[in-house]
Amino acid sequence: MWKYLVKKEFKQFLRDPGMPGMVLMFPFLIILVFPFATNMEIRNVRLVMVDNDHSDRSHLLMEKCASSGWFEVLDVNAAPESAQALMDRGRTDAILTIDNGFSQYLEDTRGGGGSVPVGIKVNTVNGTRGSIAGQYLNTCVTGFISDNMVSSSAAAMPGFDVSGSYRFNPYLDYKLYMIPGLIVIAITMMCGFLPALNIVSEKEKGTIEQINVTPVKKTAFIACKMVPYVAVAYFMVFTCLLLAYLVFGYSCRGSYFAIIVYTLAHILVMASFGLLVSNFSENTQQAMFVIWFFSMIFMLMSGVFTPIESMPQWAKTITYANPLRYFADAMRAIFLKGCGIRETWPDLACLLGIGSLTMTWAVLSYKKTA
Amino acid sequence: MGNGAIEILGVSKSYGKTLALDNVSLEISKGEIFGLIGPDGAGKTSLFRILTTLTLPDAGTATVGGRDVVRDYSAIRCSIGYMPGHFALYQDLSVEENLKFYATVFGTTIEENYDTIRDIYSQIEMFRDRRARDLSGGMKQKLALCCALVHKPSVLFLDEPTTGVDAVSRREFWAMLGRIRESGVTIMVSTPYMDEAGLCDRIALILGGRIIGTGTPEEIVSGYPERLYAARGGNMFGILKVLRGVEGVTRCSSFGCECHVSVPEGGPDEKVLLRALAEAGMTGCSVEPIKAGIEDCFMSLS
Repeated sequence: MWKYLVKKEFKQFLRDPGMPGMVLMFPFLIILVFPFATNMEIRNVRLVMVDNDHSDRSHLLMEKCASSGWFEVLDVNAAPESAQALMDRGRTDAILTIDNGFSQYLEDTRGGGGSVPVGIKVNTVNGTRGSIAGQYLNTCVTGFISDNMVSSSAAAMPGFDVSGSYRFNPYLDYKLYMIPGLIVIAITMMCGFLPALNIVSEKEKGTIEQINVTPVKKTAFIACKMVPYVAVAYFMVFTCLLLAYLVFGYSCRGSYFAIIVYTLAHILVMASFGLLVSNFSENTQQAMFVIWFFSMIFMLMSGVFTPIESMPQWAKTITYANPLRYFADAMRAIFLKGCGIRETWPDLACLLGIGSLTMTWAVLSYKKTA
Repeated sequence: MGNGAIEILGVSKSYGKTLALDNVSLEISKGEIFGLIGPDGAGKTSLFRILTTLTLPDAGTATVGGRDVVRDYSAIRCSIGYMPGHFALYQDLSVEENLKFYATVFGTTIEENYDTIRDIYSQIEMFRDRRARDLSGGMKQKLALCCALVHKPSVLFLDEPTTGVDAVSRREFWAMLGRIRESGVTIMVSTPYMDEAGLCDRIALILGGRIIGTGTPEEIVSGYPERLYAARGGNMFGILKVLRGVEGVTRCSSFGCECHVSVPEGGPDEKVLLRALAEAGMTGCSVEPIKAGIEDCFMSLS
């Protein structure tokens, strides 16, 4: 009997006009399209330079900036007003102003007293882009100044040469960082919420009533419903990992067993949450809206797209209740750092904790409504 | 209580403030077709849902096949067939897959119980690979009946099986019910159509959650307490208005192209009624005594 219940779910799943296509398409989108779209690296910063010094040195500085590869130089000899106008209209991201006295400053043998006659103005409508553009320009200018100071500043200013080494993702490859996170999103969307919609639609069509007058236990019926979605989740996870390896050469550094365990745990949490929603919804449309509302919160507050560390404290507190946070955290740790369950167990514990809570609530409310 | 197939004793059910069933008691014998007749919203489906163990009664007890609907619900589920008012099979599974599915969940196979369903299934077997959603209304109904019968239930519950079905299919359907009954299955069927009442062995009239009459259709009809006349004529609305004004008429309501006038013993007879019509200037009318139908009984009981 169980076998036939599962078989029926698979049949219905495969006969759905959209589902099989979506399941096949998703891994390709996740690996081949989304990592590029969610890229946060800033390139092609538009730059306008205003030169009031008109010296060899100022020209050299401008050349250095232009050849750094970070900027798309729009104008090298703009009038201050026109440069400002460009920024006001949002046509440029940064303005570099070199005041007269720049070459004197460099030749000053006293060793760089006073302020540097260079101005940096950054358009921060897009905060991330602006701050990164500012950093790039700063790096260029300070580099140029320390290279070209006539007086040896080494004695005057003992400097520290801080060189960073990036662990786990040495080239700061954003794609590598995003792929495990995007897998988490995909699993949540395809396998977390769809079983709930499936149950609500059976409720809506009245077919669940016909099942309820048979000797089939409700729990068995729902458990069988989950089977195809668990299968789909594993299919997607492993297709994504395979594609990531074939296309980008990224391989998972941690244990596949841990991925299997976390995926299952996450599906159970999301499915029990979905079941909870389905208990309180009369039709699929209602359930869709509720699920859509929560999935927005889950995704944006999961740390997949923006780091949780940079959220304000109250937002951080909310993320503790978000199962996606733990799954995403664990997946990144496994994929990038090569962790296993032993290193990530707090994530698993939290995931299972939330899961048992929602599951209990879901089962209790299910019994009540039935 | 006797050894009825279904016994209902003082069952009440309310949804919030709406009282759906009010102290309903019924006894249905083995092997009969029992009709539950009443308009929409009378409580038919609520009673069915209690008997099929889908909802719990607020008060009262009910047994199906001698088993209590609350305590022995799982045993009942194995021995009844239920066909809800709407088509509740899987639209995206084929005819055969649906039937096989329901056979399997009841722990049986199509082959094992083929005798029970052969009569009906043979009519749709040629479409066995067609998806249920692509079947016509009548075919869907036959498939649903097959699925409800595939595990050889001892009691069959049919909730408004003929609502929205054409006249020919309805007659066919009732003929099928007759044949199912011959195999010893008790059938409880609900319908809003009064003309189908005569096809049942026994009926109960239900209105506003109360049973307002039970018995064989003949008993119900012969229990009509008054004399009944049918008035015909050109101006139906005029006739209705005039006859309602005649002293001694208890009730006058339109039935299709005629007007049924209910008069107590010793009240005005057809001549009086005809004269009243003539006095009101309505000519070419006829009034004649008729036998009461189920619908008339329903009107008099409600």
